[in-house]
This record gives sequence, C-alpha cells and structure tokens, in this order.
Amino acid sequence: MKKLLTAILPAILVISMFVCGPLMAANESVIVYSALNEGDMVALQKKFKEDTGINLEYMVFSAGEGSARVLAEAKAPQADIFVGGSMEVYAPLKTAGALHQYRSPNAKDIAPEYSDPDGYWQGWYMGVQSIIYNRDRFKEEIAPKGLKPPEGPDDLINPAYKGLLVGSNPATAGGGYIFVANQIFTRGEKGAWDFITALNKNIDHYTKGAGDVISLVATGEFVASYAWAHDSYNSVKQGYPLEIVIPQNTAFEVGAVAVIEGAHNLQNAKIFMDWLLTKEIGQINTDLSNRYSLRSDVSPPKGLPKVEDIKVSDYDRQKAAKMKDMVVKKFSQITGA
Amino acid sequence: MRRTLRRFGNEPVFNMAFFILILATLFLIVYPVWRVIFYPSLEDYLAFPQNARWLKALTNSMVMMVLSMITCSTLAFLFSYSIVRLRIKGKALFRFITLLPIVSPPFIVALSYILLFGRQGLITNHLLGVRLNIYGWQGLWAVQTISFFPYAYAVIEGVMRNIPENMEYAARNLGAGKWRAFWDVFFPLCRPGVAGGAMIAAISVLADFGNPSMIAGNFHLLPIEAYMQMVGWYNMTGAAVLSTVLLIPTFAIFLLNRYWLGSRAYTTTSGKESFLPPQSLPKLVEWTVFSICLIVSIFVLLVYGVLLVGAFSKTWGYDWSLDLSNFAQIYQKRKLLFNSLEYAAISSVLASSAGFALAFLVERVKLPGKKILDFLAVLPGAVPGIFLGLGFALALGPPPFALTGTPTIMIVALSIWNIPTCYNANRARLQQISDSIEQAARNLGASKCKVVSGIFFPILKRTILSSLMLSFLRSMTCLSVVIFIYGVSTTVSTISVLSLVNSGDWSGAAAFTSVIITVAFTSMGIFKLAERIFSIVSGDKHGRSTY
Repeated sequence: MKKLLTAILPAILVISMFVCGPLMAANESVIVYSALNEGDMVALQKKFKEDTGINLEYMVFSAGEGSARVLAEAKAPQADIFVGGSMEVYAPLKTAGALHQYRSPNAKDIAPEYSDPDGYWQGWYMGVQSIIYNRDRFKEEIAPKGLKPPEGPDDLINPAYKGLLVGSNPATAGGGYIFVANQIFTRGEKGAWDFITALNKNIDHYTKGAGDVISLVATGEFVASYAWAHDSYNSVKQGYPLEIVIPQNTAFEVGAVAVIEGAHNLQNAKIFMDWLLTKEIGQINTDLSNRYSLRSDVSPPKGLPKVEDIKVSDYDRQKAAKMKDMVVKKFSQITGA
Repeated sequence: MRRTLRRFGNEPVFNMAFFILILATLFLIVYPVWRVIFYPSLEDYLAFPQNARWLKALTNSMVMMVLSMITCSTLAFLFSYSIVRLRIKGKALFRFITLLPIVSPPFIVALSYILLFGRQGLITNHLLGVRLNIYGWQGLWAVQTISFFPYAYAVIEGVMRNIPENMEYAARNLGAGKWRAFWDVFFPLCRPGVAGGAMIAAISVLADFGNPSMIAGNFHLLPIEAYMQMVGWYNMTGAAVLSTVLLIPTFAIFLLNRYWLGSRAYTTTSGKESFLPPQSLPKLVEWTVFSICLIVSIFVLLVYGVLLVGAFSKTWGYDWSLDLSNFAQIYQKRKLLFNSLEYAAISSVLASSAGFALAFLVERVKLPGKKILDFLAVLPGAVPGIFLGLGFALALGPPPFALTGTPTIMIVALSIWNIPTCYNANRARLQQISDSIEQAARNLGASKCKVVSGIFFPILKRTILSSLMLSFLRSMTCLSVVIFIYGVSTTVSTISVLSLVNSGDWSGAAAFTSVIITVAFTSMGIFKLAERIFSIVSGDKHGRSTY
C-alpha cells in the first residue's frame, strides 16, 4: 500500500499538468473582464441575458489588475470584453495590440472626444472626484468649532482637521495622482504646492490605493478625504454616515469599454458593446453605480448634480502623464510620503 | 557518479519516479521565476538605485523583516514549548490559536485590528477612551507578528516534539542545572526548527502586502510598491523589478540560515524510544511562558471574535444590529468555496509529496548541486505571491501549455507555492534522524523503496501529515498567488473577500471570512478523523493526531 503510494504521488503531479486542457467558452456566451463593481455586474448580467439571450460571464478587478491581465493574456486571450476603468488604462492596451478595432453604431450619441480616434476603445461613463466626510464625527468634533461642512478641498486646510484627514498617495494610486495633478491645472504650479503643503499638515497618512480612504472615513477612523464619488457611494448605500460633496473644478475620469483582440466570442462581444451604449443601459448603470453616463439623454445619478452644473476642470491628460515623475517627486519632498 | 548510476540501475522504478518528480518540480519553480526576473530590461534594473522612494522601501522591508522575524520566532518558540513541554491545561486553546491566522485570508487581521485599536477602536476609544494612532510600523509589527508566528510555530513544534527527553536526563545526571540542560542540550537541538521557522516567518513578512496596505500608513514597503506599480500605474516592468529586488534579502536570509545551522549534527532519533516525563524549567519561568502565551491567545481571540461579530452585523464598525443578509449573499457564491476546497485539497497532496521528496533528496542522497536544489526548494516562498502568480500566468498561460483559466494552473501554482513549507518541515525532521537506522535496514537487505516506505515514511508520517494540513489551509486562504491566474470558472473564495473589501463591504468580507474559517476547521476535523481511522486500521499504536 505504502509502496504504491510513493509511486502514485509523483505520477499525479505529472498527469495533472496535462490532463486538464484549456476551457473553451460556449458559443452563446460572452466573457467580460470588468473594473465595475461586483453588484453592478450581477445586475448587468441578468439584464443582458433577458435582452439578448446571451450568457454573460464576468470577473471583477481593479482597473490596473484588469489591464495587466489583458496584457498578460494578449497571446492567448481568455476574455472578449474589457469594461470599466479610466481611458488612460486603455491607451497602452491599444499600443500593445491587445484590443480589437470596433466602432459601435451606438457610439454616435456620445461626444467624439471620448472615444479612441482609431476606434479601439469607447468611453461611455464619467466618474467625478469628490470630497467625502463622516457625518457623525463631523457633527461631534468639527461642527462645535464653528465650521460648516466642507464644500471643496480648500475647506480641509483648516487647522480644525489636524490629523483627522487621510489621503491617497499619488505615487501609488491613480486617483491620488489625478487629485494632485488637478490642483496644478486649477491653481497653477505654485498655488498647487502651497495648497498641498497646507493640506499635508492635516493629513495623517496617505493610503496606497485610491479607494482605501473610503472605508476609513466611512467607519469614522478619519473625518474626511478625497475619493471617486461613484466608489464612495457604495458605502453610502450600505448605510455608513458618509457624505459626498462634489466641489467646483473637480477632476473626472472617463470610463471606457473595448473588445479584446482575438476574442473567442467576437460577435457576442460586439453585441455587448452596442447594448452597453444604449440609453436604457446607460440609465441602469448610472442608477446602479452613481456614475454619469456620457449620453446626454441619461439623467444624472440620484443625489448628485447634473453634469452641466458640475464645473469640471480643464484636466489635460497628456500633460498629466508627462509631468507625473516631477509631480510625484515634488509631492514626496513636501509630504515625506 | 558511476556508483549513483549503478544504484539507479538497481532500482529503476523508485529512481525514475523520483527523477520525474524532481524535474517537474524544478521546471515549475524555475521557469515562472525566470519569466518574472527577465521581464524587465537591464536599464530598468539600473534605474532602481536612483529611485529614493524605492530604496527607502527596501530598507523598511528589511527592518520589518528583522523585527517581525524576531517576534514571530520567539512567540512560536514559546507556544511550541508550552504545548510540547509544559504540563498544563488549555493546550487545545493554544493549538487553536496557532491555527486561526493560518486559516484566515490575509489583511483580515489588520481589518480587525483597526476595529479594535483604531481611532474608533472598540478597546482604545470605547473602552479606554483614548485615540491611538496605529497607522505605521508599530501597528504593522503587531499585526504581522500575529499573522505569521503560526507559520514559524508549525516548523518549530514539529522539531521540538521529536527531541527525546533522555538527552536532558543525561545532562542532569552529569550534574548540569536546569538552565544548563535547557541552553546547552535542549535549545541546540531545536535549532533546525527555529532556523526553519524564522526563515518562513521572515519570507512571509517580506512578501506580505495585505497587512501593510491596510495599516502601514506612510511607511513604504517593497511588496506594496510592487503591487501598486501594477494596480495603480499598470506598470508591470516596475513591478517585476521591485519583486526581483525582494529576492536579495531572501537570499541573504537563506545563507544566514544555513550558516547558523552550519554542519553540526542534529541527530536525535536513533531508534531508541524513551518515555520519560520532560525536564522542567524553574516554575517562575514556566509560568512566565504560559502567561505570555495566554495573553497572546486572548489577543488573537479578540481579533477573531470581533470579526465574527462584524460578520453578523449590518455595517462593520458602525451599525451593530444583527443582520444575516451577508450570509445570504455568500450562499449565492457557494461555488467559489467548492473551488477553494478542491484546489486546496489536490495542491496540498502534491506539495507535501514533492516537499518530502526534495527534502529526502537533499538530506539523504549523495548528489552534486545539492545546495542549489536546497535553494530552489525554498525559492517559491521567497517570491511575493502575486509575482509567483504572474510568473505562472506568463509561463504556463500562453501556448504550448495554454493553461490560463484552467483548474490545472491554479493547482500547480498553489502546489509550488506550498513546497517550501513542506520541504522545510520535512528537512528539519530528517536532520534529526540518524543514518544508522537506514544503514541497518540496508545491511539487512532492504531496498531503497523499502527504506523510504518502511522507515522514513513512518517516522516522518506526522511531519508529512502536518505539513499537508498546513498547505491545505494556506491554499484555502491564499490570495496573492491566485489573483493573476484565476479564471471565470475558477474563481475562489478569497478573491471574493478581496472584492468585498475593495467595494467597502467590510461586513460582507468578515462574513465570508468566517465561513472560510469554519469550512477550513471542519475539513481539518474530517482529516483528523480519517487519520485516526487510518491508524486504527493499520494497527499503528502511536497514531496520535497531528494537531
């Protein structure tokens, strides 16, 4: 028996390496890599099946992990669609040849500046950056000092917030970088660094991920921070005492969708993209996730102002990418983070 | 060489099996790591020293490694000593404590720690009325100690249990005091365990990214920088550079470990059984050891107690009213749990057989290049999990293997990741077994097969089984390795916990975690039961359970 065991065990290792072949997806399905939220995907999956009869299978990642995975699989793609995440993520994927050229007919309803000029990816929603604060802790500790709830980043440099803020680090978090770069675009370089220096006095520490601050504020570990409005809204839905404020001149991201090059279910992938860009689905996505649709005929997220009423900044994405090293270095000098 | 060949010819089945296993394992260890190391160009590596932030992260990683390694192995030693040597009640509790952190997914300890000791902490704020700042290296140190001492414990305990009492009796009879017998006889015999345990702890600390990302504040560490290069900046090259740099301290630990052990002999199992009660230390010392273990145990219980409470409450850390909806959500995802179980079961069997074979080869077979083999066997534990995963995605994903998204790649990666755990435990135990038993058996005409199955396997059975169990639990709760290789149909439960944490649903994450812990303990119970039945059937009188 034991002798048999010693012979069998090595054999298992070798055999198991070769037995299981790659799983081929069935024809009536589409496989989606998603940087949207899990809950949203469950709803979209159900709706897509109802509308088209096609099974949608998905995996949820952060935008960075998702794109890294699409890149890693470029030679043997496993998914048909990559959806969600800022359009900056999609540009390198296009360069690496990981995306399939497809212009959806429904893209005509979306302003052309939100799509790839060569048709490799299509922007379809917009997320805005917000100031978030914990209602309970604000009431207990800040309001008694005679302060009004924050309306923008400038309100957060008040010494009353000393040690009560948390931020995300521009060196590691995409959202954190957009926040800092946006200060440069809106205040000029000198004004931006003066602001960061002042804000830094109140910030306890900088988290690695852009979304890490939300739960820290929601649970009351810290009083306020900056984060994406749509991500923060998840915690509001769960019942945390979290307030979302969209300040003037706030930064925004454009979320995109693309068909993956070499998709096994190419036809279904195209059907999915057309479907996603319709008014009905745009509205559903906005209601679910608090993200703005890029279609003008979709109403804004509940509790958030209309997109025309938000004054977003003139965020120059190309310039932002170019000055990243400089900004991160300077930020690090000022904050020691 | 000729002798080796002749031996090979004598026992072809045995040797072939070994040979194939070794080759397969080595290929699967070297190739993924190689893919990661050579992903960046030379210029990318040369840019590293110019990045002050990364250099700081490297220094910080080293500091944390040393600090946490010391506390982890000290605590592990104290726990082992209490469990193996002290005649006390409550050992079952201590054993349970050493398992909890292993069966829970990473970053959960940090999450509970924030809830207990943070600004709104149940203990610090609500009980003591203070607001502590826990975000920094001190908080991280505490959390890492709790998270990783069980890994060191698993190795140290295995070695300590097998140190016979008669050596200390001999020392005492020759006039040595209690301390002398402890330091000059008992402790040196523990060395392979302490060294192996410290190494596992150090490597786990070096590669840890779950805890620091929650609690380290502005304290930068290398794995976090690497991870964030990828998820924050989509920069795979930078990530690969940083994780390769992590290999340097790992290599240093490895050399240190081997140097400290040196070429001394740690043989204690010579075939003579002894049934003496263990030698004691002065009462005061024993009580101190016991108290430390008890305090740590209470601390760990608090951490997990709070997790359980959070799982049943509406919103983590805010609204504590009872709410079962978290569990309804998990029921929907039960398939993920079955996936976890399946991959963990298969990969732990593979890892423990490979770990045993490699340890046997390094310790008992005359081979050239043994040191390289030794290094390779601990290497997978030294690469940060996420890059081991990335390495597998790069190595086995594309044709000719084309394994992306299959259960096979999950199982292979988890197996390889667990080899160091099993290898270290087996090797430490093998170092205790005298050559004379093997020689006696060979002289009596036993074949190599017979020596392995009749002598080493029975002696090592408990080590093999305990490392099998450990691998199983590690695989159940592994996140970093699988994050790059799971596919649509091979998603596992820890991935879901991560996505719950990321979407701010800490209660849901706590609920899923407590389900994972329950499932892990249940399967361990079943395993123990099966082991007992097996030992009764095979008439093994000493068939005590592993834990």
